[in-house]
Amino acid sequence: MSASQAAVSAIDLEQRSKRDARAERLFRWLLKGCALLVLASLLGAAGATLWGGREAFSTFGWHFLVSTAWDPGNDVYGALVPVYGTVMTSLIALVIAVPISFGIALYLSEVAPAWLRTPVASAIELLAGIPSIIYGMWGLFIFAPFFADHIKPWLTSNLGNKPDDGKLSWIAQHVPFIGKLFGSDYPFGASILVAGIVLAIMIIPFISSVMREVFQTVPTRLKESAYALGSSTWEVSWDIVLPYTRSAVIGGVFLGLGRALGETMAVTFVLGNAMTLSASLLDPGTSIASTIANQFSEASGLQKSSLMALAFLLFVVTFIVLLIARLMLRRLASKEGR
Amino acid sequence: MSSLYLRRRITNWLAMGLSTLATLIGLAFLAWILWETLRQGISALHLSLFTKITANGADGGLANAMVGSLIINFIGIAIATPIGVMAGMWLAEYANRTKLGESIRFLNDILLSAPSIVMGLFVYTIIVLPSTAITNGSTTFSGFAGGVALALIALPVIVRTTDEMLRLVPSTLREAALSLGVPQWKLTMQILIRAARSGIITGVLLALARISGETAPLLFTAFGNNYMALNPIDKMSSLPQIIYQYANDPGADLHAMAWAGAFVVTMFVLLLSLASRLLFSRNKVSHD
Amino acid sequence: MTDSALATNPAQAAAASAVAPKLTVRDLHFYYNGFHALKGIAMDIPEKKVTAIIGPSGCGKSTLLRIFNRIYAIYPKLEAKGEITLDGENILDPRYSMNRLRSKVGMVFQKPVPFPMTIFENVAYGIRHHEKLSKADMSDRVEKALRSAALWDEVKDKLKNNALGLSGGQQQRLCIARAIALKPEVLLLDEPTSALDPIATSRIEQLVEELKSEFTIVIVTHNMQQAARVSDLTAFMYMGELIEFDVTEKIFTKPGKKQTEDYITGRFG
Repeated sequence: MSASQAAVSAIDLEQRSKRDARAERLFRWLLKGCALLVLASLLGAAGATLWGGREAFSTFGWHFLVSTAWDPGNDVYGALVPVYGTVMTSLIALVIAVPISFGIALYLSEVAPAWLRTPVASAIELLAGIPSIIYGMWGLFIFAPFFADHIKPWLTSNLGNKPDDGKLSWIAQHVPFIGKLFGSDYPFGASILVAGIVLAIMIIPFISSVMREVFQTVPTRLKESAYALGSSTWEVSWDIVLPYTRSAVIGGVFLGLGRALGETMAVTFVLGNAMTLSASLLDPGTSIASTIANQFSEASGLQKSSLMALAFLLFVVTFIVLLIARLMLRRLASKEGR
Repeated sequence: MSSLYLRRRITNWLAMGLSTLATLIGLAFLAWILWETLRQGISALHLSLFTKITANGADGGLANAMVGSLIINFIGIAIATPIGVMAGMWLAEYANRTKLGESIRFLNDILLSAPSIVMGLFVYTIIVLPSTAITNGSTTFSGFAGGVALALIALPVIVRTTDEMLRLVPSTLREAALSLGVPQWKLTMQILIRAARSGIITGVLLALARISGETAPLLFTAFGNNYMALNPIDKMSSLPQIIYQYANDPGADLHAMAWAGAFVVTMFVLLLSLASRLLFSRNKVSHD
Repeated sequence: MTDSALATNPAQAAAASAVAPKLTVRDLHFYYNGFHALKGIAMDIPEKKVTAIIGPSGCGKSTLLRIFNRIYAIYPKLEAKGEITLDGENILDPRYSMNRLRSKVGMVFQKPVPFPMTIFENVAYGIRHHEKLSKADMSDRVEKALRSAALWDEVKDKLKNNALGLSGGQQQRLCIARAIALKPEVLLLDEPTSALDPIATSRIEQLVEELKSEFTIVIVTHNMQQAARVSDLTAFMYMGELIEFDVTEKIFTKPGKKQTEDYITGRFG
């Protein structure tokens, strides 16, 4: 290579390096911009609902949070009834879903024969893939009537304070609260309890798959050394696996809770859409998401702003719950050194 | 000693039995839900569902809702895929282990389960309301707004899978390309994306499955339309929205059509998740 | 200890090989996360010879190799101090452009890493970044690289096939073709046969023998027989230090240091 050629290629090289550096910078900013959009959608959703709800917050102040009123006629709105419905349905869902999910995770990681594990796990995960509106329809047309015909009469006459046959059961007479929780004059199935049950079915796959995953992270030598001492499967699960994975299991539960709190369609169909506060789980109610779904299109002015304010509350609460969930899940990940 | 042993055995036996029972309960509900959707859906399935529109009510079909769903889902995926893939690339290749990168990855995981109805209200605020102002007050719900709302729901799914799949690509591949003097952006766009391709496609399919059944965010964005709408700036109907509307109607004929719609949506979603699963397992095998 | 390394090793090696050095290393230190991984390395690597670096695992031999093309710089918290000159220019100087360095110094890794594209594209990909060639020129260039890597006859009928379909040994030769297609001056081989079977290994060794007429080759290996077979000079490293660097024959027959002798006779490592 002659000297002049070398000089030319050196200039060439320099220009190419500059061009590369420019392209690299541009690419980096483009990618970063996209990543920041993720952040923007989170902040935007919070900001937009807070902005939309500003009129309600400034009109009602903190009374908005504790008022049971929801009266479009007099333009007075309070969040307590939907908040109660959201919290109650989610709690019922957790009470049902957590033990069942734990059972499924235990079955799939310790009990089931190896050949059965993958198909059963896939089937359970299939549940997670079904759109929530299908759960809602199934709840509305199939489960709620079934519940009204077969389960509700038994609950009201054995546990409730408003039995169909007029005779108060022993439990309703002697145990406080239970009677109120299960007493109802309302003839239909749609209720807080049914919504809770439908939600439970919906979140079971989420919780159980997280639990199964974290159970599988327990080092085999830990389990084997316990088995070597003569522990039973149950003892290994309860004394070794569960304590080892505790934070992640709680994380999985919170993840399910986050899902349940924010769910719209699965509950809207089966809640009965009543803006009243009732102690009974068998009475209809409403939730934040279903109130918004039912009313937003026709709402205007202060009512619309109140719905936005509700959405803001929902977003903040689910954010906190999911934040806790992710932090808990992360603790196990860091224990594994991932 | 032997009574203790017996008690331990009974406890174990009971626990194993209960865990099996829990699994059976889970599977029973899955079977119940799928069975009803199949039974009610197939019995309501008619050819006219695919040819007639919802304007005719019980005598009509769901054609406009199906077309609307396709258009809105397409818009959602078309917006979310490039943004999500690039954001995932940034997390995996440029910001892995940086503070900002870790925070965005963390918040993205939270967004995965954020309430979708709030995303609908967000898009209502940033798209429907401003365009209403432009058109002098007539509320301008649109298929496009619905697509944006779905894109926001698909985005975290795509970001997450892209990020994960890229991080699974062995670092030797990066070293090999960089040692040839290839700049990082070319490495990312031309080599890593190919190595992670089927994983990324899986993520897009999962995201599509996720948004195909979404109803809540469409109620205040795409709104609904009883006629065939093909232009994304018009109000647009979608299958989930029609299911919601018909199921809440007192008419039993409409209930049947809602079931038919539910059947179509469920099949679509299940086939998508099946496809993504097959693709992913194939991918895993070929890269070992 | 740094002084003694400076005083003896490079001088010895250069004298023994009687060729001008292509790469000179002076007082090179390397740190990762605060760990002092290389301690005052100094050596002269002669042009168009094969230089092997041997030593027990963790001795820093791969680390040293990865500084020669600054590939270490893609990871955070790694730092190299000192001087490495390539034809008289310090490549550790940040002003020395990556493009230039990496077109002059090629590298082949432990495991074969073909890109997920066709065999042809695997070789053409790197060239395309550095030069604009016509289609015909590109074909020539790819063919030449594949021939030099002794792979042409095996793949000439399936250039459009995915490179992942090749055997491990073929993949590794493809990676060598990819590296030499850029016409580098130095070729770094990082344990290139550790993932291959004996037959594929001997083909690669044969190839190294052929390539040294064109390239300055530095090979890191944990296999002492391999070093003895393929290299002209051998450097022995231990715990981040260069213990001894000399003509291969001398290292394996009359090593100057006790540690070298212990290692090559299998008493440790």
